[in-house]
Amino acid sequence: MPSEYEALVAALKLTDIPFAEYGWKTRPEGAYGVVQLDFEAGQMNGDGEKLDRVWEGSVDLFYPKLTDRGDLIDAVEETLTEILGNSWELNSTQYERETGLFHVEWAFQVLHSEEEEEPEGGEQDAVHDEG
Amino acid sequence: MEEVSALLDKMQERAPAAAARGLYEGAGVMANEVRKGAESIRTAPFHYVRAGTRLPSPEEKSIVTQASAGIAKFSKTGSEVDTSVGFRNAGYAQLKGKTVPIPKIVNAINSGTSFMQKQPFVRKAARSAAPKAMEAIKKRIEAEFEAMGKE
Repeated sequence: MPSEYEALVAALKLTDIPFAEYGWKTRPEGAYGVVQLDFEAGQMNGDGEKLDRVWEGSVDLFYPKLTDRGDLIDAVEETLTEILGNSWELNSTQYERETGLFHVEWAFQVLHSEEEEEPEGGEQDAVHDEG
Repeated sequence: MEEVSALLDKMQERAPAAAARGLYEGAGVMANEVRKGAESIRTAPFHYVRAGTRLPSPEEKSIVTQASAGIAKFSKTGSEVDTSVGFRNAGYAQLKGKTVPIPKIVNAINSGTSFMQKQPFVRKAARSAAPKAMEAIKKRIEAEFEAMGKE
């Protein structure tokens, strides 16, 4: 799993809103959220190998009271900005008439791999091995 | 010199039309990808749930796959043309004896609801088709301008 995604899940679970990955079996009372990775949005290939990929995921927020809107949306967006910088967008806002829930959806993208620092003298070692 | 300026005038005059033709090509690529995405929706037989994550029923899926992801009317402002691909004008369908708007079914599958698990096939198609659509648009516009030069 991308480490940024794991950090995002951890950070969202620290907020006042109950968050779960990939949906709830029983719906919590009041506002709640869902976070998940959806699909591979892009990839980088080189030398016939897959070097890196970008995951796209989404954060869903459901809340029953319109007056709660400001605080809840701020909490999620601040968390998104804190962890992912600007690689997210508000995707849709909807209303479910059957349940009376408001539904806000954000989409975000994360890199699969971490940026790794080249170990010092790594290249020299490689030359040694060949010799 | 006069020939060049005549050609430039012609290009300026016909650029919006050429762009629109290119855009139509690109929108077609996008619509095809969305249709392909609709085929990959996972389903499960319908059952009532109080909450949780249900999958769309096969009937709901067949409504979506039969409705075509259409290309909206082209809007033109100055020399810019714009359009969108989606199910906005897909109309209505019969589901369990009720008339339901198709965009509503697509939205429930694509974004998920408090009952249904989300399967963002439209967003996925948009991401993967964007480079291909761009290529198609570019090709068509280049061909249009080439034809203009030969007139």
